[in-house]
Amino acid sequence: MRVHQILSGAGPYDAVTEQARAFRKLFGAWGWGGRDVAASIDPRLGNVIGPLASLQPAAQDILLIHYSGYAPRVRRALEFDNRKLLISHNITPARWFWDHDPMAAVSCALGRKQLPEFAAAVDVAAGVSLFNARELGSETVIPILFDPADFGPPAAPNPPGPPTILFVGRVSPHKRQDAVIRAFALYRRRHAPAARLVLVGRGVNDTFEAAIRALADQLAPGAVTIEFGLSREQLAQRYRSAHAFLCMSEHEGFCIPLLEAFHFGVPVIARAVGGVPEVAGDAALLLAAEDDERVAAELLALAVGDEALRATLRERGAARVAAYAPEPVARTLRATLESLGATG
Amino acid sequence: MKPEEALPAARAAAAEHDDALPGGLEITPTERVSMEQLIEWSAIEPDPTTMRSTRKLGAPITFFKRQLLHVLRQYLRELEAQQTRFNLNAVARMAELEERLAKLEERAGGRDRR
Repeated sequence: MRVHQILSGAGPYDAVTEQARAFRKLFGAWGWGGRDVAASIDPRLGNVIGPLASLQPAAQDILLIHYSGYAPRVRRALEFDNRKLLISHNITPARWFWDHDPMAAVSCALGRKQLPEFAAAVDVAAGVSLFNARELGSETVIPILFDPADFGPPAAPNPPGPPTILFVGRVSPHKRQDAVIRAFALYRRRHAPAARLVLVGRGVNDTFEAAIRALADQLAPGAVTIEFGLSREQLAQRYRSAHAFLCMSEHEGFCIPLLEAFHFGVPVIARAVGGVPEVAGDAALLLAAEDDERVAAELLALAVGDEALRATLRERGAARVAAYAPEPVARTLRATLESLGATG
Repeated sequence: MKPEEALPAARAAAAEHDDALPGGLEITPTERVSMEQLIEWSAIEPDPTTMRSTRKLGAPITFFKRQLLHVLRQYLRELEAQQTRFNLNAVARMAELEERLAKLEERAGGRDRR
């Protein structure tokens, strides 16, 4: 069997690109062929992903479209007569970007408009979470392929050093790093003056990243680190040094860092939005819409200081990682693609 | 403490302090772009410092791109001016139409009540 993967955009440190590459490894292990192509490719990727224009599928080949953002040329994929599977990685609503990144806002607005058209034109439409799938009127879920073995062993229950709060995710308006910093500043003021905050992620643009850095300098001078471009080992080290993971994001289709934090045994506090409750289950302390940074700061104090709470969250987190084990996800993916092949 | 008890406990502790949230940048979604905002956006002013290379060791490429911008500045300014002229006029027309529509709706509402 040959499966070609089509991405809206591809780049280093991009979750969808990582996912496509993990799928390709699986396809290779199953003896399947095919190519991976994208409408726009970050030059830093080299030749790992080919240009979409170069795709010439044979009649029996299957097209797997990873949809994560508007790309006018991706519509070309629909013109092929091949059987098609669409996996929606979710598109953030444009309202989070109009003020801070106009191009991203336009791409999100058009992407959310274009997605239903794509879902209607493919043979199977799936989401990486039920939240994503239902946005397409589907119940088919092919979760993110998360292999904890890639990150090495979990951390010790109580890392040495001052309380360290971590968030991993692009520095982007909807991820609300401003709220993370605000909650951290309150936590530091009330409970842990020596606490540190580590934000891992690159800014959607230099101006927005600078604004977040300025807020960090204003509210918690010298206590906040913002870094990006980390190797997997460096990222694992950040998780191993963390006492709690705080996610104040307002929109998440899946949120892989939750599973990463669970793997490392780091207690998670997150807003219950989008796919977060589905992925986190009972393993995270979930904030409701009405809970602001004051409540988040108090949850941080509990998550860092209450040993019994930490132990229970650690245990439940391990169960969530097991629930998203790579083998069943791989089986679901294979069964979906084989069913497409059989009906082609 | 059990995880299920944590949120009520945190809410109670937060209510006890009940101090103001720290100030500074606060991100809020733009549900509907206002007319004032549209007028502000209609004047095109791209920031030349956003022109850069994402390649490894891309500093010389960034330098080259910015030089190119500098060399082409007369043409680019003309382009910006023409686009801004259209944008501003289109937004102004839209504002007029909105105003006229509001007046018509108001008049129609008054007639219905009579």
